[in-house]
This record gives sequence, structure tokens and C-alpha cells, in this order.
Amino acid sequence: MRFWGQALEVARVDFRIEAREGEVIRIVMPFAVMALLVFPLAMGLDLSTLERIGPAVFWALGVLFGMQVALRQSAEEAVSRKDLYALAGLDPAARFAGRALSGTLLTIGFFAALWLGMVVVYSPGLPAGWPGPTAMATALVAIGLTELGTLAGEVTAGLRNRTALASLIVAPLAVPLVVGGSQTMDSLARDESILPWVLLLLATDLALAVAGVGLARPLEEASR
Amino acid sequence: MPISLNSVGFGLGGFTILSDVTVSVEPGEVIGVIGANGSGKTTLIRMMATLVSPREGSGMVLGARLGTGEVYPVRKRIGVISHLPAVIGQLTLEEHLRHVIRLAGLDTDRIPAALRAVGLDGAAERSGSASSFGMLRRTEVARLLISEPELLLLDEAFSGLDSEAGSLIDTLIARTLAREGAVVLVSHDRSHMQSASRVFSIGGGTLRTAP
Amino acid sequence: MTRVQALFAAAAAAIGIGLWFAFNSTADALQGEYSRIINIHVPSFWVAFVAFGVTAVGSVAWLRSKKSRWDRLAASSAEIGTLFSGIGLFTGMVWGEAVWGRAWDWGDTRLATTAVMFFVYLGYLALRKATPDPLTRARRSSILGVIAVIQIPLVYFSVNLFRTLHQTQSIRPDGSTMPDEMLMAMGINVLAFTVLYIALLSARIEVASAEATAASQPRLASDGVTPPRFNEVEDV
Repeated sequence: MRFWGQALEVARVDFRIEAREGEVIRIVMPFAVMALLVFPLAMGLDLSTLERIGPAVFWALGVLFGMQVALRQSAEEAVSRKDLYALAGLDPAARFAGRALSGTLLTIGFFAALWLGMVVVYSPGLPAGWPGPTAMATALVAIGLTELGTLAGEVTAGLRNRTALASLIVAPLAVPLVVGGSQTMDSLARDESILPWVLLLLATDLALAVAGVGLARPLEEASR
Repeated sequence: MPISLNSVGFGLGGFTILSDVTVSVEPGEVIGVIGANGSGKTTLIRMMATLVSPREGSGMVLGARLGTGEVYPVRKRIGVISHLPAVIGQLTLEEHLRHVIRLAGLDTDRIPAALRAVGLDGAAERSGSASSFGMLRRTEVARLLISEPELLLLDEAFSGLDSEAGSLIDTLIARTLAREGAVVLVSHDRSHMQSASRVFSIGGGTLRTAP
Repeated sequence: MTRVQALFAAAAAAIGIGLWFAFNSTADALQGEYSRIINIHVPSFWVAFVAFGVTAVGSVAWLRSKKSRWDRLAASSAEIGTLFSGIGLFTGMVWGEAVWGRAWDWGDTRLATTAVMFFVYLGYLALRKATPDPLTRARRSSILGVIAVIQIPLVYFSVNLFRTLHQTQSIRPDGSTMPDEMLMAMGINVLAFTVLYIALLSARIEVASAEATAASQPRLASDGVTPPRFNEVEDV
């Protein structure tokens, strides 16, 4: 089976498992939407401030909780499953690509739900023409976040404090994504070009994709 | 030669697991390895499966040097049954088989026959997590009946199996030998090694011919 | 005198010279004496960036060769880089508080992203600490080291991408906003801190080599495991 065939097969099974486990829909997403409510309760802000900070809170929570989609328990593979894949001849780069594909689509769905929650709770004033750039920024952030989460999940595989350690690794490295995503919206609101931020996101995604594919074999050995 | 290990050593977390192990396995041969718990049997199997690289010494499996990129193309020719079944719990037994067979680029049309052969055709829709140990083992046998490995590595494959399921392992061994393949059988119970032409014991990290 | 001792002696001399220039150069007209903090702040960040670059080089070299000396280089350099980025952040906070009345300005993206880089390497060190096996530790942390180095260009160029309250970069391709004397003092301190980094790195690598030698007398995995001895105990 060729590279993309294997990647699509890995993604397909990832989706099937997530559909049965429901970790993203039943746990990560409600947790993130709850956090949307916690912010205003904790800060005691007036409505005009809420309207202003809504998109920023969306990006912050999106990245912090979105990384949990890539690090979800259902995505973690036991050593026996990794061995099985290795002996089936699964290309480690195809495995990375497949995990990134399934994780990206799940993360985009997560972001969409979170955006809806943010719009309801914060009633932000959205700039004209926001859907297209927002969708594009969201997709690019989702790709980068999934790539990072997959990489961090692999380097922390099997460790006792995996989730916390992987989150510590992902969070700072995800800052270009937070900046790129939020500044895209900000530039749109100021009627400025979003191109620099889109390029920043593209560059980050590309760098992580190259790292993920290029380091796939050492990663596979390291995670067993 | 399917397997040739020369003075290989392996350690993890500051512990030596294998030390100066030298062994070779010829085509058409079954070798047995017996040893107590913690003696390094599983590590030896995983090294023969190219899943871990020796930290000392050198080895070749199916013509590929261990610890190099040469092992990637030969892995599909190796079949392993580990002491813990490797079946994805969130999938049904049939879905799991289909997934692994597809990844390996093999013919998924053979799956129904393989499930029937191991006696799981009536339970193929059971999820892995709801299946017994014996059922998971049979699923692994079904996978290997399709993949037809040249090198069969069995790590405590008979443990937890009734006599019917145990006979499936014997069938796997016989078919591998018929293909001029090689088999390595690891167990703590010598009674499973009647088909072995040579038996080794592993202890203190080293391999010796068993009396 | 050993090599490490000679390096520390050289570092001490260089730091001494750097300090002399720091206190004897003309202060910035607007910031006054507080501007002299730049002689620690900027060199600390310089060392942090160099150290993280060395970590990346060591990580790549390890991945290619699997030789443990590269892992020791990468890890030792990451520790020093984390230390100096912490010093740089602290001096930045002191400088900010003194000059702008704010120790930490979230509008200053360069400060924030440098802090982020600090946390990336804290994660790197935490990963190493959590991985007991030397080979697995080297492999995983070298992968993370390669990935983490993408942060460095972002930190350097971020000040050009964002509007901040922090002053724009003093050293620009088209000229400097600092007096020449101050610029020279800062340059000397950058060199002095570099010598200090080399001394610290050499010392840390020596310690790491000694640790590796001490750990290379492993025990057998089956040590201490014996057949059951029920006949030797009572009440069980």
C-alpha cells in the first residue's frame, strides 16, 4: 500500500475509534466551552470588554484545549500496537501524516464548536468579511496544532506524566499559531492585510510538517 | 539465513537485559528459548523482530542489518505473536484484521476464510475489548495465516490457550516450516518445544544451549 | 591548570573587561544609568540563542551518528541556554520596571516570545528528566531539540511583526540608535558572555561524561529475582 493509502487508512481508523470513544465530543469540547464561561465569571467584565476580548479568548482556549485533541487518550497507541504497525510495514511518515489528517479534521470541528460558543457568550463585534479569513486561519492553526500535538505525543509516549509533559512541550511551541490566528482577526478588524499572519501560519505548518515527516523514523523508534 | 546475532547486548534504564548473545537460525528450523520471568526472552524476540536494535554487537535478520534502515522493508516478512495480544480494542476483530491487512498491502478477501479457519467467523463483530484472551490470540493467528511470514516469532504464544487454540499455533508453525521459513519459540515451559531442533536457555542476560 | 579552569580564568578576565566598559561608557541620554543593564540583558539573550542553536546542532548530530557526546553537548547547552534566557528575562523585567514603570509588558511580544522559548527548553529538560533510559532520552530530546529551534527566528523577527511598547531593536541594518560607546561596551560584553558560555559548557560536559561513566556499570535486569522460597518462611 502506498504512502497516502496508508495515511488515509490510519486516519480512517482514527476517526472510527474517536466516533466510538467520543473523547473529543464528550470531554474536550464541553470542557473548552465551560472555560469560555469561566473567563467572564472570573474577570467580572462589562459587556463591551467581553465583546472585545471574545476572539482573543477563542484563540487562547482553542490552542490550549485544541492540543488535547491531538493528545487524546484514544489516539495514544500501546507499544504492542506500534509494533503491529511496524511489522505491517506502515511507513512512519505515513503514520504521522494519517494522525495529522485525522487530528486536524477533529480539531477543526472542535474550533467550529468553540467559535459558536464564543459568539453566543461574548457577542463579539465581528469585522466585515470575517468568515473566510477566520475559516482559513482556523484551518491553518488546526493543522499546526495537530502536528505539534502528534510530535509531542510521540516524544512523551509511555511516560507516566505524558499528558502534562506533552502539554508543556506543545504550549510554548504553539505560540506562533496563537499569534498568527489572533492577529489575522485583529488585522481584519483594523482593515489591514492579513497576509503576514497567513504566511506565518503557513510557514509554521510547513516547518512542522517537514519535521514530522523527516523525523518520522527516529520518532517511531523513540516512542517504542 | 533468517537470523544471525553476534554478541548482541541490550540494556534499558541502567539494566543489562541481554549480554553477549550469539545465535543463528536456519531456514526450516525451529529453535526454542526457555527462561524464567525477567530473563530477557521478550527482548530477544523483539530484537529478532527488528523492533529493538542491539546496543552492542551486530545482527542480521532476513538479510537486513539490525539498527539500520535496512530493517524496514523486511518487517512485513516477519510474524510475531507476543505474550500480550496486539489487537486494537476499540475495533471489532474483523475491523482490526481488515485494518492491519490493508496496511500491509495484502488481500483483504482472505479475511473471512482466515476467521473461519480459526473459529472466529461467528464472533467477528465482537469488539477487541469485549473479546477473551483466547479470541484475541486466534485473531492474531488469523492475521498470520494471511500474511504468511518467513520468520515466525512466538513469545509465550501457547499461554492462556485451550487445546483447540493451541493447535492453531502448531498449524502456524507447520505452515511456516513448509514454506522453508524459520520459527523461534519462546516459553518458560519446555513442554511446548517438542518441535524445536535446538533449545536454548536464557538467564543472566546470556543464551546457552539447554540441557 | 586544566582546560576548564583556563576557560573560566579567561571568562573571568573577559567579564571583568566587559564590566569596566559597561560602567565607563556613556549612558543613554533618555534612560540614564538604567541603560547599563543592556550589558547583561542583551548578552544573556545572545548566549541563550547561541546555546539553543548548539542544542539543535548537537541534536541533529546525535540523530545522524548516535554518538553520546553529541547528546551531552545538546543537553548541557540547553541547560545553560535556559539559565541565560532566565537571566535575560529577569534583567528585562528590572529594566522595564525602571524605565517604563512596568516589570512585565504583555504588549511586548519579544519579551513574551523569549519567555516562551524559556518554557520550550524547560519542557526539553523535563522530558530528559522523565526518561530514565539514556538512549531513549537522547533520541526523544534530540527530536525535540530539532523542533524547538524553529522558535529562534520567530523571537528575533517578532519585533518586526508586531507593534509593541518596547523600544524597537537598537541594532538595525541601517544604523543604531545607541551611542557608539554604549554599542562597543555591549559588543565587548557579548564576547565576554560567549567566553563564559564556552567555559560553562565545557564544565557541564565534563560532569555529564562523569555521570555517564558512573552509570555505565549496569546491573542485570534479572538481578535479585530468585525462585520462590516458601520453605524458608512461616506464617505465609
